[in-house]
Amino acid sequence: MKLKTTLLALGASILMGLAAPVAADDWAPDGPLTIQIGFGAGGSTDTMGRVLAKVMKENTGWDIVVENKPGGGGVAMFTGLSQRPPQGKLIGMGVSIPVLVQLVQRGDQLPFDVDSFDYLGTVARTELALVAGKDAPFDDIAGLVAYAKEQGTLPVATMAPPQVLLMKQTTATTGAEFNLVTADGAAEVLKLILGGQVLVGFAAGEHFPYLESGDMKVITSAGASALSYAPDQGTFADVGVSAYVDPVYYLATTKGTDPAAVAAIAAAIDEATKSPEMAEIVKNATQGEPLNLGVEGTHQMMTEGLAAAQILFAK
Amino acid sequence: MVDLTTILAGFADAFTLFNLAFVLLGVALGQFVGAVPGIGPIMAMAIAIPFTFGLDPLPAIAFLVGVNKGGLVGGAVPAILMNTPGTPDAAATAMDGHPLAKQGKPLKATKMALFSSVTGDTFSDIVLITVSAPLAILALKMGPIEVVALMIFAFSILAGLIGNSLIKGIIAAMLGLLFASIGQDPENFTPRLIFGYWDLFDGLALPSVAIGMLAISEILHRMSEAHGNVQSTIVNKDTGNPDDRRVTWAEYWSCRFTMLRGATIGTILGALPGIGSTAAAFMSYAMTKASSKDPGSFGKGNIQGIAASESANSAVVGANLIPLLTLGIPGSVGAALIISAFMIHGMQPGPLLFENQGRLVYGLFGAMIMANFVNLWVGQIGLRIWVKVVSAPESIIFASALLLCIVGVAMATSGLFGVAIMLIFAVLGYLMSSFGYSLVIFIIAFFLGPRFEKSIAQSLALTNGDLTQVFKSPVAVALLVLSVVSVIWFLRKNAQAEQGLPLDEPSE
Repeated sequence: MKLKTTLLALGASILMGLAAPVAADDWAPDGPLTIQIGFGAGGSTDTMGRVLAKVMKENTGWDIVVENKPGGGGVAMFTGLSQRPPQGKLIGMGVSIPVLVQLVQRGDQLPFDVDSFDYLGTVARTELALVAGKDAPFDDIAGLVAYAKEQGTLPVATMAPPQVLLMKQTTATTGAEFNLVTADGAAEVLKLILGGQVLVGFAAGEHFPYLESGDMKVITSAGASALSYAPDQGTFADVGVSAYVDPVYYLATTKGTDPAAVAAIAAAIDEATKSPEMAEIVKNATQGEPLNLGVEGTHQMMTEGLAAAQILFAK
Repeated sequence: MVDLTTILAGFADAFTLFNLAFVLLGVALGQFVGAVPGIGPIMAMAIAIPFTFGLDPLPAIAFLVGVNKGGLVGGAVPAILMNTPGTPDAAATAMDGHPLAKQGKPLKATKMALFSSVTGDTFSDIVLITVSAPLAILALKMGPIEVVALMIFAFSILAGLIGNSLIKGIIAAMLGLLFASIGQDPENFTPRLIFGYWDLFDGLALPSVAIGMLAISEILHRMSEAHGNVQSTIVNKDTGNPDDRRVTWAEYWSCRFTMLRGATIGTILGALPGIGSTAAAFMSYAMTKASSKDPGSFGKGNIQGIAASESANSAVVGANLIPLLTLGIPGSVGAALIISAFMIHGMQPGPLLFENQGRLVYGLFGAMIMANFVNLWVGQIGLRIWVKVVSAPESIIFASALLLCIVGVAMATSGLFGVAIMLIFAVLGYLMSSFGYSLVIFIIAFFLGPRFEKSIAQSLALTNGDLTQVFKSPVAVALLVLSVVSVIWFLRKNAQAEQGLPLDEPSE
């Protein structure tokens, strides 16, 4: 199964790669191009998606409409997208991790899998960090584990299942126990830390103003590599945990879309991610830089991400 | 600390004709979309944000604040005139507003709503401008355990709205909680009761449920009562008494304590993220009714009821900005949209906002003050127009309202799935109200349910399931004791009311 998936992915990427340079300039959407955001209005995906649409519209002159279609961390939107005819009129924007988690946990109930889409590119990668209040009696992940063992248990605020699993893997690896409090988004995580109800929690850049003001400190990166702004803090691998969480904001459309359309939209996204407007909004939303993995890179990221999520969820 | 020159410069930036024009535009748009059933200020803001890209930050944010504030005033209009609240927070306003309108005093009712809304809003703005930093720190100390206790207290206040049948009230509340539990559970993210519909994964959308239950079911009732006659939506009896068309100073002044209580409740609940204006409006309404010398007159057109509800739900809006500006934590969907607009315009809400961008923040405060005055002025004109509009035959008004509700919910929930849910709840609402079950209790339970469940899960995780930990929090203990007291008190009062005391006489 996995080999088949990889081969298919490879085949699809090569086909797209071949078709791309030829047709990119000739295609334009027949009528408005709709970008469906897999989350509600006002969140980071929505904010970046709207600016992306605006820049693409300015660059290409296409009529671009942005819609919110929240539900299941993007699953409702991608379910709809996978059932549409591939006309190059509708593209979806979501975040990799929540979709991959649902595919691993209940893939048999979903009408799509990783290969049900033509991938168009990515906008940014979130650098997920474990952060603590400034008075926490530890400064790194090793210190945190030691303190949790000493106290018997340690309250940690999480936002989503992968973070819960990451902490459970940490318990399995190190023997330190945690009280996992599920918060409603990063804002609530920060509130719990600032209010002293928990000592540490996960955040994806929302904590940045508090680093600047000195009210919080970074413990470690929850991703595969160290945080760009705190390279010395390491990752969970420092205490022997092999799992990691790396959410990426990506765009995709229905499988079987005209390769010329895929190439043209992907090129428009790529051009937009290089604009100063996108740099600014990505900085405000994720504290990072725009990142476009491209058509093949995005498909590869999803395929590898699925394998990584399978490891994370393996019992 | 921000120095005085920054504050003055900020206000000076705000008070320009250019900004006033955008505030005016925002308030007018907000009042319009608020008054049209089915489309609320939240949706208007979501649509308007991209149009503010081209503006400077201050006029852009002033415009959005105007939409938000105008929408709250507008929301009371359909609730009072047609008994079809477009948003759940106006449902409490309908309870006394609509009876007053039916007595031929629609202008008086809507004006009272406007005045108390602006009063509550101004109160919370002043609190925001002067003491937001210490209040935000207090709000931070309200952890999950305290929030659970506060929610229990809010539920206990609902006992004051239960009315004649305790059993029916409890059934309505339980149904609300049951529907609130649809979607993924807050702790393990397992989908519950979604029956394969991924659109339900995040729960039933509040606009679908609220508009279906409150607005469409009322339209169904009106249709069933029409018997083919053509009649005006509201009979504007001209009593010849000019006092029926306006709110006198004496009437306004008689509501001062009611409005102060409403504004205080709204400000406190607004400063705590996630509880919201609906709960504030109903808590204020129930408390006002309970403390009144004449509780029997509530629900029959008591002007105090309008003042209680509108002052509280409007005060939430200003107070929602307290955690938003000082901590970067949005307290509601409206506040989340404002944060998104801030970020698009290069502002990062949080602890350093006042230091880094104090001038812009005080500019925002200036714009908020302007918006309050503009609200009052635009409202005076707008209300007259709306009262004229609903004098049209029911067949026209309700048909258009139905269409607008469908369009509005389709937009708010991004598709026809939300409309289908709305229609299901319209039928449920029609049946429930026909059999004497309180829709209002259902809606509040539905609205508070998810937050309640999440806070319970968080509290249990924090305490490792050890309930005795509650005693370590004096605030939680105090709130729980208050809840018990208020339930007993309300139930005794209800029992007294049933024991032969005629409702239209003072019960004390």
